[in-house]
Amino acid sequence: MASEETSSGGGRRPARLTVLLIVLLLVPFAYSVVGRFVPKGTASDEVFLERPPAKYKRCVKGTDYMRYHHWELLRETREQVVRYGIRGEIALDRCRECHQKRERFCDQCHSAVSLTPDCFHCHYYP
Amino acid sequence: MERRDLLKTAGGTFLAATSGVYAFRMLTASSAGWTSPDRQLASRRWGMVIDLTKCRPECTACLDACRTENNVAFHGDERYDIHWIRKAKLRSGEGSVAPEKTMLLLCNHCDKPPCAQVCPVQATYRRQDGIVIVDHHRCIGCRYCMIACPYNARFFNFKDNEEWPNKARPKRSHGVAEACHLCAHRLDQGSMPACVEACDRGGSGALLVGDLSDPGSEISRVVEQTPVKRIRPDLGTDPKVYYVGL
Amino acid sequence: MEMHFESIDGKSRSYQLLLIVLAAFAIAGLVATWWVIKEGIWVTGMTNRIPWGLQIVMAVYYIGLSAGSLVISGLYGVFGKTEYKPFARIAVYLAMLFLVAGLLSILTDQGRMDRVFVEPFVYFNLQSMFSINPILYIGHILICVVYLWALFYEKKRLTTVIATLAFGWAFCVHSGTGAIFGFGARMLYESPLLPASFVAAAMASGTALMIVIIVALFKITNRHVDDELVLWLGRFLSVCLLVVVYFLFAENAYRVYVVELRKAAMYYLFGGFHSILFWGGLVIGGCFIPMFILFRKRTGSSVRWVVFAAVLVDLGVLCERYVIVLPGLTHPPEMFPGMRVIGSPIAEGYVNYAVSVPEILQALGVLAVIGLMFAAGLKIFKLLPNEARISGQHA
Repeated sequence: MASEETSSGGGRRPARLTVLLIVLLLVPFAYSVVGRFVPKGTASDEVFLERPPAKYKRCVKGTDYMRYHHWELLRETREQVVRYGIRGEIALDRCRECHQKRERFCDQCHSAVSLTPDCFHCHYYP
Repeated sequence: MERRDLLKTAGGTFLAATSGVYAFRMLTASSAGWTSPDRQLASRRWGMVIDLTKCRPECTACLDACRTENNVAFHGDERYDIHWIRKAKLRSGEGSVAPEKTMLLLCNHCDKPPCAQVCPVQATYRRQDGIVIVDHHRCIGCRYCMIACPYNARFFNFKDNEEWPNKARPKRSHGVAEACHLCAHRLDQGSMPACVEACDRGGSGALLVGDLSDPGSEISRVVEQTPVKRIRPDLGTDPKVYYVGL
Repeated sequence: MEMHFESIDGKSRSYQLLLIVLAAFAIAGLVATWWVIKEGIWVTGMTNRIPWGLQIVMAVYYIGLSAGSLVISGLYGVFGKTEYKPFARIAVYLAMLFLVAGLLSILTDQGRMDRVFVEPFVYFNLQSMFSINPILYIGHILICVVYLWALFYEKKRLTTVIATLAFGWAFCVHSGTGAIFGFGARMLYESPLLPASFVAAAMASGTALMIVIIVALFKITNRHVDDELVLWLGRFLSVCLLVVVYFLFAENAYRVYVVELRKAAMYYLFGGFHSILFWGGLVIGGCFIPMFILFRKRTGSSVRWVVFAAVLVDLGVLCERYVIVLPGLTHPPEMFPGMRVIGSPIAEGYVNYAVSVPEILQALGVLAVIGLMFAAGLKIFKLLPNEARISGQHA
């Protein structure tokens, strides 16, 4: 069955549709970039993280680092402990000594960005 | 024509994006667990000696201690229960008058582990200090290691474990394979595995874990001076669990 | 009339009904998979003693069917038999689809499906057959894609090159799949013949599948296919069956002869439900009856009988996949030669495997998914020739 050649839009339509596809794929990233620069006082900054009782002077890393890199820290620690048996200062149990309740600490940000980390299925964090 | 072009561009974009993501993951992946950089770890070779003459047949101290320490799943169903260490009876061939022997079976922490050889993601691997351990963060649950183990020592989490007796240690969710890891978390911090401590507390002292590469350690002395046997050493797996009185 | 390729209309009632039925099975398979993910693998028939079940049997079966289909296209691409050009596109497309089915079956069998897309490729282990095989399978799929491209655009030289590559790669795929078991530790798995035996079974089942599909497809779509084309495939199938029987005999004769494997071999041949599948399904139903049909002049020259034999061969090879996977697991590993282990909290002796409903639904679901892809492909791509004659004008 021979198909008829369509009108001149046949050359430009796929290009436009591809551009549309790429734009749609980039929307979530754009949202998070925009969200980072939104000034204080708006909904995205109203997450409440419990201020822990002063068991230790300070945390292993600063707040800014933890906010953007705590999963990398946890992953590196995990590799060291599980694969090489090197147990150092950083452990989930020690985080728990200050940040005692998951729902008042970890879950606050995780729920806000709709993330369910797999960790708590196996590791105890009340 | 336009539909085909769209499919081509969409397909090409998808392939490019996927290869990009894979390339990124591969470049940033941690080095695989075959070698450990830590000298201290590499200088040890953990092994175990089980003295069956001292093991009391009706005692379950080590079994209970292991289950509670490591949150090993128990459902009351022989098909799905996990036993990192288990007791069995051995009866010599048909019509023999020899008495039954009580055996303790667990992962033998082979020096040439077939389970580690067949794991497609190197989730099961042999640490430099001789312990065969599963990285539950990486295991995909293919169960090939269970098939490769000639000692029936590996198990799979078919169901979630409802109980959590030891909250200081993680438990496993369904979908990963596991086996005894000689309480590596305890050995790393200088104490003895839970089963060894429980057996000592119970008075039998039948279990002994130590460093086989240290000629002065108690386990090296026992292995050299007492008649010890291993299960199926002819298979070439180099198991490191020795039995006295088998 | 010159042979050319065309796509089907896809507007007939029966075609749409087929799509609906396949979609229903695919959804059932998806629901079963969701149930297995949610509850844990205990809802299938697998246990700690039997870690692999129907899904792995089907995965191995589908992979066998794929490499075999490639043989038919190899007849045109590698050996230049232009009378098989009409079937080349369908054969390569089916080969690709069956590999996808094999991968889907393996995927839905994993305990952590979310990790299967990344971990095996980033952390692969060259010593593990389970790691090498996905590379072989995905490579094979990509080769089939390029092969189809060469066939669609009638690139003669590329077709020969890629067909030869595909042929050789298919041998590696099969041997690799056989090596998963043959290089393994169980008494009833370990065998250097298993890779070769897998290739033989793949050729037989793939050829049989192509016979059935060609005859059925051309009949349903009212296209002519010369009888001689099918009958030649039937003769080729009979030779493949001879090779299969040879490997079966060699493996089992070895196991029965050698003293240390004799007890396990007796269990394999006579000791359980799998023995019925072995003798009835594979040896008699899958090999001897089809060989009898194909070698006899009267039945070997009748297309209906050849198709019947092909169906028997496909069912027989399915039984063979079952007896390759399961008896090795239901038979206990021999930890204490000469002694019996009793009073253990786990089953240390012989165990039985019972197929479960979720596994069957998953297997049918995978088949339905590739059925949908095949049916859609017939409509979207120009896969079917208008006719298949020996003496036609072939480019």
